[in-house]
Amino acid sequence: MLSAQGISVGTRLREMDFRAEPGEHIAILGPNGAGKSTLLNALAGLLPTKGHVAWNGQDLAKIPFLQRGRMLSWLGQESHAEFAFPVRDVVAQGRHAWGDDFAGVDEAMATLDITHLAQRPITQLSGGERRRVFLARALATSAPIQLWDEPASSLDVRHALEVYRLAQQLAAKGSTLLVSLHDIRAAYRFSRVLVLESGCLVGDGPPHDVLTAKLIRDVFRVEASFVTSLVPELPAD
Amino acid sequence: MKVQRTGPVLVFLVLTVLAVMASLALGDALLPPRDIFAALIGRGDDLARTVLWDIRLPRTLVGLAVGAGLGASGAVMQAYFRNPLASPGLLGVSSGGALGAVAALALGGGALSLFTVPLASILGAFLATGAVMLMARRGASPEHLLLGGVALNALFGAATSFLVAVSAAHMQATGQIIFWLMGGIENRTWEHVWMALPLVVISCGLLLPMGQSMNLLALGESGAQSLGVDVKRLRWQLVVLSTVLTALATAVGGVVGFVGLVVPHLVRMIFGPDHRRLLPLSMLGGAILVLVCDLPTRFLPAGMRLGVVTSLVGGPFLLWLLRKRPC
Repeated sequence: MLSAQGISVGTRLREMDFRAEPGEHIAILGPNGAGKSTLLNALAGLLPTKGHVAWNGQDLAKIPFLQRGRMLSWLGQESHAEFAFPVRDVVAQGRHAWGDDFAGVDEAMATLDITHLAQRPITQLSGGERRRVFLARALATSAPIQLWDEPASSLDVRHALEVYRLAQQLAAKGSTLLVSLHDIRAAYRFSRVLVLESGCLVGDGPPHDVLTAKLIRDVFRVEASFVTSLVPELPAD
Repeated sequence: MKVQRTGPVLVFLVLTVLAVMASLALGDALLPPRDIFAALIGRGDDLARTVLWDIRLPRTLVGLAVGAGLGASGAVMQAYFRNPLASPGLLGVSSGGALGAVAALALGGGALSLFTVPLASILGAFLATGAVMLMARRGASPEHLLLGGVALNALFGAATSFLVAVSAAHMQATGQIIFWLMGGIENRTWEHVWMALPLVVISCGLLLPMGQSMNLLALGESGAQSLGVDVKRLRWQLVVLSTVLTALATAVGGVVGFVGLVVPHLVRMIFGPDHRRLLPLSMLGGAILVLVCDLPTRFLPAGMRLGVVTSLVGGPFLLWLLRKRPC
């Protein structure tokens, strides 16, 4: 469970109230600069934030850092690396708050399809591969709250779909997922959508209710029409 | 997490012991290992005991402190700034130390006592450290600190140049200044050892358990914090320990270039970037490089100062490694 009361970050995020229950997987939409990353960073406790954030009902300010690492996992928008750590070492960093055990590291790598890269230096990977490595690190924390900032950017269509499915599966197991997106169509794969504009919440609810042609025109300034088109899906297996 | 480090660390420990032995044995008077051990436990002839206890042992221990301090400080700076080209001098601490020493020398302090110069250097280095910490305390970002370091380096560098220029009339002072600026560990006494070694050992001991946190920091601050690292505290600790190590090394060894930059770099190229391995290996590697590079200065003309030799040895070695594998 994740809750925020009246949180503000400068002018980037204004007086926002928000609450997410276990089992929800939530897409965050909004144009550039709407405050998606700021919201995720504020909820993760990575920014000086006015207002009140609570994880599992506990006041964030009172949770020690090491314990935070077990409760919530945050995937940033950037995944560049200057030092040539082997992939498996990077994924294993997800276990730092658990005393650097290796629990779930290999499973996380298998889930993100990077097992074959285990010994490769992270500096030698493509952007999409590096993205999956950092996702695997976030997953390896086994934290029940997962905040992912544009996880699918730089991923090919198959891996992007797998990430959305992963979010759904984690939520089905009782985790809370918050995922920022740029692809409005992908938001339909989530149970709830938050739409941000200029640091304010302008839409919150199931995607079919929230994502109306009017809201999309107002917020994104594009015309949206609902037509039949090519929709890639993962094979049913 | 288990990290394969015992092997490389053992090898580096053996190499360090060999370097220490060579440093104790070689010089105008050659001391074979048997004489060294005898003199160490207070036996053997007077000359060997005097050479060992009054000259070689302080010199060697100061070399260990300078090398380990610079190696560790370089490794920390590179993780902190997430840049493999960062070096201990980056934040202006060694140029602060240099200014202190040069000021003492230019004012004729070199003749007062053996410690005027190192003490002045420590004063300068800690003044710079204080400035760095004031910046770090106010929550400055690494980029902010880096620019602050550039400013401090420019400021201290200008003051040093000015002092060198005005003391040009006094040939003796100028010679001492130039010698000091090239770094060296000759003519060191036990007071120098006590001034630097204990704090270097303590600082290195405090750094060693931070290896995994530094690994996380090296891949991004927000990521590290979200994984359970108190990044603000860690960054503060790293800046303090690294600047203290640089200040001490500069105070007793002068400006010994290249060690802090190249040793962590070499270790990383050979053994990978894991700081649980990189930190101890950079400490030992720095000590080895300084001790080994100090040996030729005992036989070569006076111009071949320690700082000159470390650069002459380290530069080609780095080039050779770069040829073998691109970083």
